Amino acid sequence: MGNFTLYGETFNSRFLLGTALYPSPQIMRDAITASECDIVTLGLRRQNPSEQDGAAIWDFIKDSGCKLLPNTAGCKSAKEAITLAEMSREIFDTEWIKLEVIGDDYNLQPDPYGLIEAAAELIKKGFKVLPYTTDDLIVAQKLLDAGCEVIMPWGAPIGTGQGLMNKYNLRTLRERLPDTPLIIDAGLGAPSQAAEAMEMGFDGVLLNTAVAKAQTPPQMAKAFAQAIDAGRNAFEAGLMVQKETASPSTPVIGQPFWHSK
Amino acid sequence: MTNSASQHSSRIAILGAGLLGRLSAWQLLEAGQQVSLYEAGSFEQSPSAARTAAAMISPLSEVVASEREIYNLGLRSLQIWPEWIQSLNKALPDHPPVQYDATGSVVVAHPQDRTELQQFHRDLEGKLGSKQNSKPLNQSQITKLEPALAHFNEGLYLPDEAYLDNRQLLDNLLQRIRTLGGKCHEHTPIELDDLANNKTIDADTILDCRGMGAKKETSQPLRGVRGEVMWVECPEVKLTHPVRLMHPRYKLYVVPKGNDRYIIGATEIESEDLSNISLQSSMELSSALYTLNPAFAEARIIETDVNLRPAFMDNLPHTAEYKIGDTNVIQINGLYRHGYLLAPAVLEQTLNKFSKTETTHDQLS
Repeated sequence: MGNFTLYGETFNSRFLLGTALYPSPQIMRDAITASECDIVTLGLRRQNPSEQDGAAIWDFIKDSGCKLLPNTAGCKSAKEAITLAEMSREIFDTEWIKLEVIGDDYNLQPDPYGLIEAAAELIKKGFKVLPYTTDDLIVAQKLLDAGCEVIMPWGAPIGTGQGLMNKYNLRTLRERLPDTPLIIDAGLGAPSQAAEAMEMGFDGVLLNTAVAKAQTPPQMAKAFAQAIDAGRNAFEAGLMVQKETASPSTPVIGQPFWHSK
Repeated sequence: MTNSASQHSSRIAILGAGLLGRLSAWQLLEAGQQVSLYEAGSFEQSPSAARTAAAMISPLSEVVASEREIYNLGLRSLQIWPEWIQSLNKALPDHPPVQYDATGSVVVAHPQDRTELQQFHRDLEGKLGSKQNSKPLNQSQITKLEPALAHFNEGLYLPDEAYLDNRQLLDNLLQRIRTLGGKCHEHTPIELDDLANNKTIDADTILDCRGMGAKKETSQPLRGVRGEVMWVECPEVKLTHPVRLMHPRYKLYVVPKGNDRYIIGATEIESEDLSNISLQSSMELSSALYTLNPAFAEARIIETDVNLRPAFMDNLPHTAEYKIGDTNVIQINGLYRHGYLLAPAVLEQTLNKFSKTETTHDQLS
């Protein structure tokens, strides 16, 4: 499969996994192993980060050997997200940040205005920003203008498992931003949905709930990894164009003519 | 705990006067052993998570987000608790008895979150098969069970669940331990490292029940998981069962604690921060309560509490046994959010093993 490069770093896996909501840290680690992912996200939001109060769990995640992608989950303003990003940079020693600015508390819909504002500011401060956004083309363009090199549009609101809700918008994003790495972030519930996103040409998939809330998270992590690989292979191999009429895959040459219509 | 153990009484030091420490001290004293109980804090204002907990014995609700082992141990605890509490209450006729209620619990969700209820039910079936006996409830069944929740039109009833008055239990256990001649030392922190160097405790066996207090001395990494709870008083609302409210992000419960008091909990945050409850958490807890019944708006907040659940990375309890010199050391830890659910079953296993160690010096894993 072709390279997967983000901010100049190349990764083997196109699967990014979240580390929240698992029944135990051990099951989370088992899921990371089964997913064979190279990047995991983690949030500081509800700890008291300046005191390093969550250190035990962070070390446990670090020990997985994956690249850490801290997020600003739960932040509701640009200012809050910037502060948290700076703390994350200090604690995890990384400029990478998955930027979330939430506009609606119930469905956790991104706030595009706060997102663009925070992204611009963080890029000025030297961050490598991976913004979680809706499937809106203009917002994506403004994020690129601000200096983001990766865009992470949602499939559906976080945790809903609805899959790719607006394929038209997603297809538009893909077609209009052909050279930008696009990662579907949030809303996927089934491996088939992840495969579909990859078949459409998206560069990667980031998810959490669908794996963490499965009855056997490591097995579900593996299922998603396989689906993401399958979807990518299919995209690279080139999908056939759907046709209105049937065309037999076995040659009809041997059949007597009077059998045809 | 067996009769053979009481044939020759041994000297046992118990570290930590939380739930495990008190229960094991009491049980060992009843079995005729000599017990000394050491607590780093004070007995009355113990820093133990046992005092903060809502003290539900809820194997069904907990299995959804944990492992089958938790459920099996929980079912055993459901059998042991009533016997233990009955015998404790009988032994202390002049004390307020410990209340124990085993009439089951109720799970509800608001209409917009009904898929959370479906997921909960599916996970129960997935973990336990169809023979688990949760019962779907419609509006009239909910109304009959808990009139204060009449506006919910969907729910679940979990019959095999109980709760108890943990603060009375902790007080009565200490009283009983003292009556039985247990030596109680508060403000006496003990570290196993110190023991290895200079023997400050004279005991045949040390039972380490320190929870977070043992953090530096457990055989595998122990972490604290922050939990925040709120106590309210509200005569206008009568709930008689523990109630769980399903929500996409919060799994909150309300447990009646007698005298119109309720405990609402609990947040679950991967942090060892012990500072006061945050505004966000208090809003989550309050709004969950308010949506159960708007009359809770007039409740008075009488207490908030924060504590750490001692947990291993697999969120399962573990026992370790080894020797320091001639002294047997048994460490029990990692009961996580399941202290009252697991304590009797875990202790039963450990104390059985322990009396074997005492009499035969078997090496047990």
